[in-house]
Amino acid sequence: MADPAVELSGDVSWIAEAFPLPDGRFEHVSVYLVEAPAGSILIDSGSFYHRERLRRRITQATAGRGIGAMILSHSDYPHSGNVPDFRRLWGDFEIVASCADAAAQGLPYARRSRIGGSLDVLGRTFRFLDPPLADRSHTSWIYDEASRVMFAADGFGIYHAEGETGFTSRDYAAGISEEAIHDFHKDTIVWLRYVDPALLMDALRAMFDAHPVSWVAPIHGAPIAAEDLDDYLEKLERSVVAVSEGYTVH
Amino acid sequence: MSREIAQGIHWIQELGPARTEIGESLLRRGAPWFDRDRTVHVPQNAFLVVGNESLLFDTLSPLGSDQIIEELESILGDRPLDYLVVSHPDVPHAGNTARILRRYPEARLVAPREPATHELYHLEDSLRVGVGDYLDLGGPLIQFHEATFLDAALSVWMSEETTGTLFPVDWLGFPLLDGEGLSFMDEVVDPETPDDELVDRLYEFHARVMFWFQYADVEKMKAETDMVLMRLHPLIIAPSHGPVIRREPQRLIQLMKGVVERVHNTGRVGVL
Ligand SMILES: [Fe+2]
Ligand SMILES: [Fe+2]
Repeated sequence: MADPAVELSGDVSWIAEAFPLPDGRFEHVSVYLVEAPAGSILIDSGSFYHRERLRRRITQATAGRGIGAMILSHSDYPHSGNVPDFRRLWGDFEIVASCADAAAQGLPYARRSRIGGSLDVLGRTFRFLDPPLADRSHTSWIYDEASRVMFAADGFGIYHAEGETGFTSRDYAAGISEEAIHDFHKDTIVWLRYVDPALLMDALRAMFDAHPVSWVAPIHGAPIAAEDLDDYLEKLERSVVAVSEGYTVH
Repeated sequence: MSREIAQGIHWIQELGPARTEIGESLLRRGAPWFDRDRTVHVPQNAFLVVGNESLLFDTLSPLGSDQIIEELESILGDRPLDYLVVSHPDVPHAGNTARILRRYPEARLVAPREPATHELYHLEDSLRVGVGDYLDLGGPLIQFHEATFLDAALSVWMSEETTGTLFPVDWLGFPLLDGEGLSFMDEVVDPETPDDELVDRLYEFHARVMFWFQYADVEKMKAETDMVLMRLHPLIIAPSHGPVIRREPQRLIQLMKGVVERVHNTGRVGVL
């Protein structure tokens, strides 16, 4: 079977796709599939760059049923660009989105998720959390209560080498590389050059204290297993310090 | 309806729906510039710069799709559109790109240079611009700048050098009340308005869109704000989500220091 989905917990799987960067590295642009009591939920839509592959792989992963609902971390093309196409393919399934003005984001039919709130989607409860590591205002992190997977949108990404697409933190013997963490966050979350690292890291650690995770599931990186999270957070902290100290106002 | 803010620079504005959630937030904290009989709006601006050649900066949101085409046709008449600049590929800024390029197929799509993820945004066929790049429109002279305070990484700021107009995209957004559409800042608020009240309006916007101010090093942000003012010294500021500022642009920029400080102290107020 080609390109199998990577199982994280029994009913949450990762459909890893990657985008080639000019320097030879890759950036994941993925989706996750959650098997809920009343159907399959896709977390984000993936990019139109991978549309045909995603159609095929999601069809395969759902044994031909397709998806019954989609929860968007935010409406940014690499995350939401396949919404119209997938709704044509699998019917007008429910879209859950966090933006305050869904129509201006091109999603007039979306059900609103609210940061700090929770919603039942196809019989499963998701909490919507204020993401300390994000760029767009309306981004939310999505915490699946049943599996304790934290879907972390643009946070917790990495760049990876060819051949590592689909690797989770468990596939890296020495843990995920600090350079990969640093470079991704420096390029992608540009405001980190102004960050007070202690404030950010305190917010992140408080969030994981309040919402214990089995996995942190980024869209642009390798899923991080609970036992690897402390290692990742330490490397992230050093990365954030390096980004902020590396930028002086001049 | 559009408004010419300086020689050859046409301001096109989508006022957007009444934002009841923002209105409730303003009532809860007793914002002095709002009362319950009014509606509050977060406008979306686009700017058309016309010289021998023409350039459109941003596209309005999908709700403004008919409007942007009508405004372009009305200002340009039977002249072509030469450039369409996408400040960043956020749907409310760039959502009508495909439609505008269908209407003006000869227009050159222009996009921020970094990072190189253009294919994830249908921007692979664009002219890439960044810090220090110019476009001479024959009359107006466009210069591109780093997007200093931004949300998405793939972003660019722009200025028109002959008029000193800066287009700082999401920075300096300012919610409007009903009836304040397409009005200059000095028409929306009296020049005697105290700083506190202006900071409060700027805060309501930035505590949503630039929620990350809460994690920022305030002193570094203040230094960067001074640097923006020194480097770009705008005479006119044309933001994407607020009134065009033609009087005392330095004052509004200086007030952003207080906005950062306040978001830093209170955290975000919501989303947009
Ligand atoms: Fe992203
Ligand atoms: Fe914006």
